[in-house]
Amino acid sequence: MKAFDNYNPITIFIYFASVITIGMFCLNPVTMNPLILFLSLSGALTTYIIRNRMSGVKSHFFFLGMFILLAVINPLFNHNGVTVLLIINNNPITLEALLYGTASAAAIISVIYWFRSFSQIMTSDKLLYILGNISPKFALILSMTLRYVPLFENQTQKVIQAQRGLGLYSDTDFMSRVRGGTRVFSVMVTWALENGVVTSDSMTARGYGITKRTFFSIFKFRKKDIAVTVASLILFAIILTGVISGAINFRFYPEISHAQTTAVSVITYIAYGLLTFLPAAIETEEEIKWKYLKSKI
Amino acid sequence: MEILKIENLTFSYPLCEEKAIESISFSVDRGDFVTVCGPTGCGKSTLMRLLKKELIPLGEMSGKVYYKGRDVQTLSEKETACSIGFVAQRPEEQIVTDKVWHELAFGLENMGMPQDVIRRRVSEMTCYFGIEDWFEKSVAELSGGQKQLLNLASVMVMQPDILILDEPTAQLDPIAASDFISTLSKLNRDLSLTVIITEHRLEEIIPVSNKLFAMESGKMLKYGETRETVKALRNNAVFMQGMPAAVRIFSSFDLSLPCPLTAREGREFIEKNFDNRVSELETPLSNTEKKDAVLEFSDVYFKYSKEMPDVLRGLDFKVYKGEIFCILGGNGSGKSTCLSVAAGLRRQYSGTVRVLGKKIKDYKKNELYRGCISLLPQDVQTVFLKNTVKEELEDVVSKDHTLPYDLSELNDRHPYDISGGQQQLLALAKVLSSAPQILLLDEPTKGLDAYAKKEIGVILQKLAQTGLTVVCVTHDVEFAAEWADRCAMFFRGEITSCGIPSEFFAGNNFYTTAVNRMTSNYYKNITTVSDAVKIMRLNMNGGAE
Repeated sequence: MKAFDNYNPITIFIYFASVITIGMFCLNPVTMNPLILFLSLSGALTTYIIRNRMSGVKSHFFFLGMFILLAVINPLFNHNGVTVLLIINNNPITLEALLYGTASAAAIISVIYWFRSFSQIMTSDKLLYILGNISPKFALILSMTLRYVPLFENQTQKVIQAQRGLGLYSDTDFMSRVRGGTRVFSVMVTWALENGVVTSDSMTARGYGITKRTFFSIFKFRKKDIAVTVASLILFAIILTGVISGAINFRFYPEISHAQTTAVSVITYIAYGLLTFLPAAIETEEEIKWKYLKSKI
Repeated sequence: MEILKIENLTFSYPLCEEKAIESISFSVDRGDFVTVCGPTGCGKSTLMRLLKKELIPLGEMSGKVYYKGRDVQTLSEKETACSIGFVAQRPEEQIVTDKVWHELAFGLENMGMPQDVIRRRVSEMTCYFGIEDWFEKSVAELSGGQKQLLNLASVMVMQPDILILDEPTAQLDPIAASDFISTLSKLNRDLSLTVIITEHRLEEIIPVSNKLFAMESGKMLKYGETRETVKALRNNAVFMQGMPAAVRIFSSFDLSLPCPLTAREGREFIEKNFDNRVSELETPLSNTEKKDAVLEFSDVYFKYSKEMPDVLRGLDFKVYKGEIFCILGGNGSGKSTCLSVAAGLRRQYSGTVRVLGKKIKDYKKNELYRGCISLLPQDVQTVFLKNTVKEELEDVVSKDHTLPYDLSELNDRHPYDISGGQQQLLALAKVLSSAPQILLLDEPTKGLDAYAKKEIGVILQKLAQTGLTVVCVTHDVEFAAEWADRCAMFFRGEITSCGIPSEFFAGNNFYTTAVNRMTSNYYKNITTVSDAVKIMRLNMNGGAE
């Protein structure tokens, strides 16, 4: 299910911006709250796994390894804390430092996972749409670049193949590779300029630069987009207030503090939980809807 | 209704004595389909550009162009950009953006149209062209033919009254080209869109156009109703070369009948006016003496990656010394792959390829390319690395090596600026410089006019007589029929039939030359215009005098 992908790019962007901003706050020693971290990590993993199911399982092991490494490194270099677990080379390894390392590892991994989902959902045309709303001209330049880079690469390969077929290009040793490379590169510059002329003709022929450009996109802003956008923004505001007011502050050193249970902090936890599991909820709702529709048929 | 009127148009490029266009006057009615033809360098492209205000090249221009009775120079930019559409030759370079839908919207965005208008027009056009399937694709995924259709569609969204096309099918294979032409003809019929097009391949465009404009060295030679104009040009050898087969056959006889344009009319013309007492030409015995095989594929399998399907499936063939061997076949049948395997650029995973009797893998690096085999790729521009033709030749051609043709008059020109035929010859010169014994050519006639094709054919024949072996992959049935010693049909990674052209094509009903389609079941084994004319002369007395 990829229901969340079908939301308007602006909605998606606002959602990820809020969730990632809060996730970043957790990298700050003062606001590094285990509960917030747990929500961020579990939300990030759920979102990613719901979208990808079993594909890319291998990458999870890589990040697990990274998680462990990050968690273990801190107690090796940081010896703060009162609960000593063991002593290596006259250096105490403390429980607090280990937990702190684990927490910061969780913060980093969760941000990475949020970004992984973000880059999957935000394809180039969606980014372009957001840009186009800000500056149509810049969006066009980006779109042309996205077209041009692969084209250039492709043509370079073709030229190299052609020269090889003529026996004029060899990459047997370093020098001949450099020589061949420069020859090909210089002709590619000419080719690019030559092509630029045709492209610019094609642009003027279709009236480029006559009036102010508009920006067309295939995305629409629907009711559910508004709902999700507003929800993300409200939740973000609540959490931010909580964070700034110090309601989620947490202390690892010298001794681990207890999480606060004031009304403000509880509201902040709930708001953050809702925010992180929003995509998962949308996917699940869609799934249930389909099952229901199918059973009716 | 007169939609476009050209009055006394003259144009010359800067620093050029000669006039590129000289006092041309003509008018085009709404719904006309005008084909502009003429030899390469006659000023067709310049004329096309002069009709589109935005694309008028630098130079001195006099005369007037009227659009719906108003001088084009007085029209607003918006009006000219929208009402006169332009499609140029190379499909790839005309595309501006990275996504199909964005490309379709590009022109409308330029006009500052609101979202909902763009949405409606784009969706309308997508449906009309039947391209919903690739609406969200990125343009890099499209084939050449699809790209050119996209270019056409993204001009059509602007709702032009006149469409100007400068050799739009030159870079396409025959099937994509005929698709493109039928789309144009549909637009012309359905929307009474006025079409002005320049073309080399007249076989298909002549029957759909109602007016023909013949041009020679910047001047108008003839303009008028297609059938009449064609007939009036019958004695002009330059123009006849590129005409449909039916017209060429007709022009060889001095009959005062209406000129046939299509294969169907051609058949009627032949059957009505000539009998078939003599139904077969005496063919010279095909050369059956066994020569040395210089290129040998035995049971070759190839695929691009493990997961992909086989591209070559048990390919088996031999090419003998000194022959011109043409491989014909559809798109994606593996023809070009076969060439790159033969040139050692890709390696088969099973089977053997022998070049000059030696297994290809036994050649050391680059040894294969020194005096053994050379491959000329489809896009000849990829062969050029220098700034002038002269440097290009000096770069590779050894002094004692002589070419069977002369390129010295082009010396100072940039390789990208010379005509397609000249580019092909220059590329060929580069390929020949390593004195190969086997020459592999990929689509050597793509985008060339009839004259250049003939030139290439003559040169290949000369080279073959000196003992060079030519293997040529082509879509061009007419070229193969005329110049090949043997032809082979490529289908799904293997060769399904093979033989000398007259027998090879006579055995085919669909994949064959226009002449063969016209004469099959009436005469036997006739594939070229010259053969057809020969046999018709033999049958003349009984029919028309």
